[in-house]
Amino acid sequence: MSTTEPVGGVGRRSVVGVGNRPVGGTDSRPLVDPWAAAHTSTEFAVLRNRLRGFVFPMTTFFLAWYFLYVLLAAFAPHFMAIRIVGNINVGLVFGLLQFVTTFAIATIYVRFANRHLDPVGSRIREQVEGGTW
Amino acid sequence: MGRELSTGVPDRTDFYVTVAAMVMIALWTTLAGLYGARARSTSDFLWASRTVGPRWNAAAVSGEYLSAASFLGIAGLVFKGGVDALWYPVGFTAGYLALLLFVAAPLRRSGAYTLPDFAELRLGSARLRKICTAFVIIIGWLYLVPQLQGAGLTVHAVTEAPQWVGAAVVMVIVTFNIYTGWTHSITLVQAFQYWIKLTALAIPVFVLLIHYAGEDPGFRNSLSASAPPSFSQATDVTPDHDVVLHVTKPMRVMVVGTPDGRPTKGTMPLAPGENRVAKGTTLHFDAGSRVPVISGAVVDNDTWLCPLSQGQRSLLATYSLIVALLLGTMGLPQVLGRYYTDPDGRAARRTTQLVLALLGLFYLLPMASGWLARLYLPRLLVDGNTDAALLLLPRAALGGWPALLLGGLIAAGAFAAFVSAATALVVCVAGGLSTDVLPSRLQDFRAATLVAWSVPLAFVLAVSPLDLAQGVGLAFAVAASSFCPLLVLGIWWRGLTDTGAAAGILAGGGLAFAAVLPAAVGVLPPGWQAVLAQPAAFTVPLAFLTMVVVSRRTRDRVPTDVSRILLRLHAPDRLGLSEDREVGQLGTRIWRAAAALSRIRGGRHRR
Repeated sequence: MSTTEPVGGVGRRSVVGVGNRPVGGTDSRPLVDPWAAAHTSTEFAVLRNRLRGFVFPMTTFFLAWYFLYVLLAAFAPHFMAIRIVGNINVGLVFGLLQFVTTFAIATIYVRFANRHLDPVGSRIREQVEGGTW
Repeated sequence: MGRELSTGVPDRTDFYVTVAAMVMIALWTTLAGLYGARARSTSDFLWASRTVGPRWNAAAVSGEYLSAASFLGIAGLVFKGGVDALWYPVGFTAGYLALLLFVAAPLRRSGAYTLPDFAELRLGSARLRKICTAFVIIIGWLYLVPQLQGAGLTVHAVTEAPQWVGAAVVMVIVTFNIYTGWTHSITLVQAFQYWIKLTALAIPVFVLLIHYAGEDPGFRNSLSASAPPSFSQATDVTPDHDVVLHVTKPMRVMVVGTPDGRPTKGTMPLAPGENRVAKGTTLHFDAGSRVPVISGAVVDNDTWLCPLSQGQRSLLATYSLIVALLLGTMGLPQVLGRYYTDPDGRAARRTTQLVLALLGLFYLLPMASGWLARLYLPRLLVDGNTDAALLLLPRAALGGWPALLLGGLIAAGAFAAFVSAATALVVCVAGGLSTDVLPSRLQDFRAATLVAWSVPLAFVLAVSPLDLAQGVGLAFAVAASSFCPLLVLGIWWRGLTDTGAAAGILAGGGLAFAAVLPAAVGVLPPGWQAVLAQPAAFTVPLAFLTMVVVSRRTRDRVPTDVSRILLRLHAPDRLGLSEDREVGQLGTRIWRAAAALSRIRGGRHRR
């Protein structure tokens, strides 16, 4: 799926590094442009890889989890109909669990972003503003 | 116990309680708006000031998001469709998770106020901006229809007034508030709206649950039998539109009216399968008789408690619905504007996390009320008016003054839902119309507000309505097929071009709109339900594919400053990188109109 394309350069994850031009796209600015330099820097590659490394597996997980519920409902209706307490059956519990997992994933992501993404981003910003490039 | 034995005409007290509830909501929003207009400066006009914390903003996002579909619609769908309807609240909530993971922080950092602003900022094309505006207007209109419909239904359910009365009341309140500067304090007001809606639903649901727990179980319907629901007492039902009723075993009912087109008075057999009943026919059911249900509703209580009970035929429709709700939320025009209230990407993430908690908390209530309605209101399964379940529930279960007060509370909460959702939508649609469609002057924003109302109002008056939640689902399908690919690819893929984005939006969003149109105007051909009414499973991949393929073929149109833009979207921003002023130029037209409006209102603005 197209969302799995890396941010910098179409499918050229390996060539992005310090001093490399982003091969995809038509960026023809001189190398001294701080934006282009920052964009191809190690820090930005780290930021991008961390973000992708979290978001894409997590998306796969929660999509699989939602679709599992639908598949179970379609192909294992007897399992879903097992009553746990009174009128509450497995299907209903699964449905309510979807809310819990949605919130849990969001919480994990927010913590991850605050701990592992923001510091890298701040370094990049300081370097751009401080004229390191 | 003063239970209603029939649909009967409600007494005057109900009318007064409902009117009082509506007046309270109108007064509250107007007073809060006037207070806000004094307290804030001009630049806050549309999206409030950016000084509120994530908690307030999360409540405001939720307050604006919980519309007619959430307040009344989900209770109605759970009542009718059982556990299957859980997908609506799960999807409405999970949409914010997708928004959080893919777009929340970068979108906030982009500094864009509206989706067309984002498109122009990212890809620098005025033509693309116009296309985006067109879709903002389409989505806004599709979303406004259920709000007006819900308002009509609420007033009708309690006072028997015609449907247009409720719609007109909401229109007048919202228009008045927009004209007098209500939006100045939109964050504050919308945040309170969330708590109003939560309270208005929580108190009745808890009272009814306590009542349920302490009641003689013989007096109500039971959910434990693998049989259709049954009437616990003699009931007369008169559907106000033609209905098709399903029964599993043959039964006889007393009728007065024209079932099967023949004027009849006496008993009528209902055969297993479909039975057509003309509107205005009164059906009389004895106590203990089984409840025939309208098409689309689940017949047995056992299946009602099981997901996907309608067979694997609905598997595709369910997947399609999940795709639409999961990916549609990020593409709703009113959501992005709210994020502008957060000071930075970090706050945007925190806001979204809190929104998930607030929505999850809220959605437990309509689910519980759908279940209560199944116990107390089986007659709505006959006349098909399931969206009114929540409104009629207190009267069916309690009777007397408690029912009146709880009914008034629910009506007030429902009106808060229509007013807050409609305000956000009308501001978006009118903003789009006045900046990109009509020539941009102050008068146009006011005129645009009226134009923004015209189409949804015509729809509500002209067509036979869908269920509220399904109606809102159509707006989600179009949003998921147009703006979701634009945002996801725009934020994550540097290869996107303006031509590619425009082609993808037109192909995916255009096809989705064409597909939902028959459902929206109520002429859905039978058998095409799954594909047409919920097309997202096809149109979303189509939009992504078109965007990628066309972008690759127009590689020379990738913006030259794409590195700079993407870096800004992905690097934290507390100080320098994301100067709102820079992008402000793109979004200023709407602000200028706002500022002019504010000056005319008496020059209270200060810089």
